[in-house]
Formats: sequence, C-alpha cells, structure tokens
Amino acid sequence: MNTKLTFLGGALLLSVACKGQESTAPSVTLDQVPGHESLAQDTTHKESPRLVPAEAYIRTYLTLFGGLTALQTQTQLTAGGSGLFDTWTAYLGALGLPNYATDMSRNTQTNALMVASFERLGIALCDKALEKDLKSTPAVAVDKRMIYTFDVPATAVDEAGFADRFAKLHRKFLGYPAKLAPTDRTARFFALYNETIKNHNPTGSRFTAVDAGWAAVCQGLIRHPEFQLY
Amino acid sequence: MNRRSFIQSIVGGSAAAALGTPLFRAFAGPEVSSDEYFIFIHAQGAWDITVGLDPRNQRAGLIEPGSTATIDINPLKKWVSLSTPLDGVNASSGYSFELVRPPSGPLVFGPGIGDLIRHYDRLTVVNGIAMNTVSHQDGTAFSATGRHLAGTKTAGPSIDTMMANSFGLGQLLPAVSINYPSSFVGQGLDRRAVPLTISGVGTLAASLRRSALYESAAARDGVTALLSREAQDLASMSANPDVMNGMYLQYEGLRRMNGENLINLFTDSYLRGKYTSFAYSTMSASVNAAFTLESLARNATRCVSFAYGSFDTHFTNYRNQPLLQQNLFDMIAIMLDYLDVMPHPTKPADKLSEHTHILVVSDFCRTPNINAALGRDHYPNNSSLIISPRFRGNMSFGQSDPEQLLSLPAKTFADGRRPVTPPDVLASMVSAMGIDPRKYLRDGEAIPEILR
Repeated sequence: MNTKLTFLGGALLLSVACKGQESTAPSVTLDQVPGHESLAQDTTHKESPRLVPAEAYIRTYLTLFGGLTALQTQTQLTAGGSGLFDTWTAYLGALGLPNYATDMSRNTQTNALMVASFERLGIALCDKALEKDLKSTPAVAVDKRMIYTFDVPATAVDEAGFADRFAKLHRKFLGYPAKLAPTDRTARFFALYNETIKNHNPTGSRFTAVDAGWAAVCQGLIRHPEFQLY
Repeated sequence: MNRRSFIQSIVGGSAAAALGTPLFRAFAGPEVSSDEYFIFIHAQGAWDITVGLDPRNQRAGLIEPGSTATIDINPLKKWVSLSTPLDGVNASSGYSFELVRPPSGPLVFGPGIGDLIRHYDRLTVVNGIAMNTVSHQDGTAFSATGRHLAGTKTAGPSIDTMMANSFGLGQLLPAVSINYPSSFVGQGLDRRAVPLTISGVGTLAASLRRSALYESAAARDGVTALLSREAQDLASMSANPDVMNGMYLQYEGLRRMNGENLINLFTDSYLRGKYTSFAYSTMSASVNAAFTLESLARNATRCVSFAYGSFDTHFTNYRNQPLLQQNLFDMIAIMLDYLDVMPHPTKPADKLSEHTHILVVSDFCRTPNINAALGRDHYPNNSSLIISPRFRGNMSFGQSDPEQLLSLPAKTFADGRRPVTPPDVLASMVSAMGIDPRKYLRDGEAIPEILR
C-alpha cells in the first residue's frame, strides 16, 4: 500500500513538474536581485551562430509535417501534381549532407543554394500543410491541425487578430514568444501578410488571397535565420 | 637641375621601373581588380605528361614512349607516327609519335594536346614540378593547396578559396567547386568564400525550381526580402555579425537568382543547347565547362573549379590516356574560343578572355616506363598549364630529366637551386593578381619569369 501511494505521489509530482508553462518576461531584472547590484555580467556571445545539422533540419521538418517518415512526407508533398517537391535525394547535397559516394564532405556553412533549398522545402511544407489544415473535407479541427492551429477567417484579420495567430506560429517554428523577438517582427510579418493578400492573383492559383497571406507568414518563419541557425 | 635632383630623378625613375616589374608587382600589397574570373581544372587521377605537356618520343634511360603498341592512335588528331620503330628494327616494338610544335616559340607537346595547340601563344607550361608524393590524395591536395596533407587532413586553403576570398566576396556564388579538391582551411578567410561544393551541375536545378500553382514569384520574393531585412537587423545587433551578414547576402543572392531565372544556369539541357561547340558525348566535363562560361557571362560566380578525369591508367586503359588528354585540351580550346567572343559582364568593351585565368593541374604524373599490365603507374613529377593574360604565353618553364623524367632544378629560388613545386605555381597565380602569396601560402615563391 505504502509503495503504491509513494508511486502515485511521485507520478503526481512528475506530472505537475512537467506541465507546460507559458514563458513570460522576468518581473525583475538581474541587477534588482539582492546581491547582484554590482555584479559584472558577461553577456558577450562566445561563438557565432552555427548551422543546424541537416539531419536535425530534416527531422524537425518531418515532425512539423505530422511526424511522418521521409518517404511518406515526400509522397504527400508531391501528391496532386503540386510541383512543390521532387525527391529528398534532390536536396540532400544542397542541404549540406555529406555524400560518401562522391567524396563530398559535410557543409557546415550556409550558401546561396542552400538558402534556395530552404525556400523550396519551406514553401512545400507551408503550402501543403495549408491545404491539409484549412482546405480538407471534412474540415480539420483546430487542435488537430499541423501548422495553422488557429481559426482562419475568410477575410483578412486586423493587427490584433494577426498578432495572436502569429504568436502561435512564431512559437511553433522559432520556439519563443514573438513579443520577445529582437526585431519588430510582428509588425513586419503583418505587413508581409497584408501585402501578399493585396497582391494575390487568384487566377491559376490553388490559394485564396487569405491562404496566400498565411502561407507567406509560415514560409517566413520556417525559412527564418533563427530556424536555420542556433 | 643640380646634382642632387639629378640623382633623385634617376633613383625615382628606377624605382618606378622596378615597381612595374613582375617581381615587384607580385608582392604589391593591396588587392586589385574584382573584374577577374578564375577557372581551375583538376586532371583527376594523374596524367601522363609524356604524351602531353612534357613529351617524350624516344627511348632513353627509363623512358618508354607511348607508341602504336601501347596507345590507341585512331582518334588522335595530332598523332603522326615516326617512320622508324622504337627499337629501330622491329615494327612490333611500335612506332612513337612526332612531337607537336606550334609555328613558333619553345613549346613542344605530345599528341594529347589536341586542338589547344591553336592557342599556343597564350599557353604557359610549367614542367618538372617536384611532387614528393605518389599518393592521389596527397598529390591532389598538394597541387590545389600547396601543402601536403597533414595525416588525412588538408592543411591550407585551395586556390579557388584563395581567389574567392580575395575577389569573390560580393559575388552571388564566390566559388563553385564541382568535384574539385577545394578546401576552406586557414586563418583570415571570410566565410562567404566557402566554395559551394557540388557533385554535378544538374543536381542543383531541383533547389531552384518553383511551383506556379500556389503563390506568385512576387509573393515569394516578398518573403525573402523580409528575411533579408531580419538577417541584416540581427547582424547589426550581434557581437559576431559575420554569419548573419552572410545570410543577408545569401537572401539577396537568392532574390537575384530567382529574379534572373538562374535555374537555367544549372540546367543541363539549357547549357547543352546554348553551348553547342562542346562534344558532350566525349568530353566528360563539358557540361561543367558550359556552366562555367554561363556563370561567368552572368557574373554569377568569381571562380569555378571542376575535375576532369579519370587519368588513372595503370592497365590497358592506358591506351586511351592521350585521347583523354585530347578531350580535355579540346574542351579548354573550345572554352577559350567562347571566352574570346563573349563580352565581359561588367566591362562590356572587353572580352571575357582578357580577364579570365585558367590553371590546370593534376595529382602528379605517370611513370616513364610501361608496366607489365601495359599501363603506367604513379610518378612524383608533374606539369601544369596556365592560360592567363597576366602570364607570358608561348612559354615553358622548368624541366625534367631526359632519361628519368624526374624534376630538375629550374632556377635559384630564395631557398636555393631547386625544381619548381606546386606552391610556386600557386604563388605565381596568387601574386599575378596582386596578392602577397604569404597571405594564403606558407611555402612557395612566385616565379617572375612566367609573369607578364
């Protein structure tokens, strides 16, 4: 009995400890903590940002796209003659993976063609995810969606509505609240969203203007330098 | 004019004259001109110089020349058999070849030179290069970096990295390396100069393809423009802005690539359709050569390097060694033909050939004797070919032993009388561009005799 109680108690404590908590900005700064008033703080960066290894990029990509295998993902991305994706093998070298067959070493630094590959793959993920999340029949519940885990009205949202939704996307891709971003990111992305909607030409496109606006925001995040570097 | 001012004028004039000499210019401090382009070719597998750049057509000492007994001569345009057999008596010993000589000058080639002979007046041949190695990996690294391998690791930057670092940092693709032994090792190198190492031109087209069924090109460009600004802002806040600045430049590069439909540059069929003079079926790296021309014409790359091969002919495949060389040199001749008529992208009054510098190297050379398998093995001598408006054309420098094909001293360098080495060749290329070779090379000394 005692053993069971201890076990249950432990499990309860563990579940409380593991409960996700929304990150918030600290209520006091470090120098307000007693004893830290004059403590020297070394805030300099010790190393330049590094490129995320291609394996980690691909694993993250697959996770974002619903946790499928690489081949399943490839099948879904190429489905419907989308022209969004070719095969994984077409991109592995450009992403920096080594190729032992041709004696190509791992590329640990970005280059223009790697950035082009990030664009190609980012567009594929955002566009296909939008089709699956927002355009499927029957409609996918918000909590079951892969990327766009918020309601998307048929018309463009205002700045406040955008900020709420953008915060969710920002956290999903970059892992921290948008309001803590070092640039005026929310405003910048809102401008991109509006500009894309305004200029969208529905002729020949599978997207409505609003679809295109959210896809552009998604692409801007999955292709962001903070997504590629750490 | 009094005595003092007279002497001053003489001294001043001498100094001015000295500054104009190749040696002095070689060590001039500031890096000059960013209108120059570079092509580096690695004759991969070790070429046989006795049928190419340092020919032998008579038996002497260890030398067993290529002959009708060991070489398939039918496809060779410049092969003319000697009238007497190699042993002077028996036809079965085979007939060697007539040396191929340009209309004037000291150059002499084997039949492998092919059509490149017509450009003889701009060829600089360096013979008798001491390699001190017969390992493919080591020889390859030594030729491309001027340093032997440290264990299995390259110890210095390759020549394409050097040129990209000095002249290509503002370029869309500073250096593209297609199976070339490029290395990015050493101090003081800008990360933007990292050669884009790829195994083939066509494989990159997939990364540049875009679907027209979803968003417009303008919408995609809007996203990239935003990311470019983000990277620029993040760089301005960063203690180490290099990486973010690099990404900013790459986003801008991507915008340019998409805007200029650069996918053509990496599309095999487009290149074959535009550069029709290459014999794509026989010249194995012709698509790379076409890519080189197109990327220079579009000012997309500063430096393209690629491998051509394989020249590793230990067995009866040696029969095709001169043909391989003919194909390589024919390909270079066609490249020169194109460069002679293509306008320079940023200096329209000039032709590309006036600003393009080509260096062809190999791992080392092959043995002077034919082995039991009718091939040639590895040998620690080498030759290089330079085609550059900053080098003296129709010129040969350095020499190898007439009986053993080993490197002979070429001149008295600062460290004494010795043969030319790969770092000397690389130092000459580097200094011809106005860069102090010590910036990149630990060893080697520029050879003023071959510089203009």
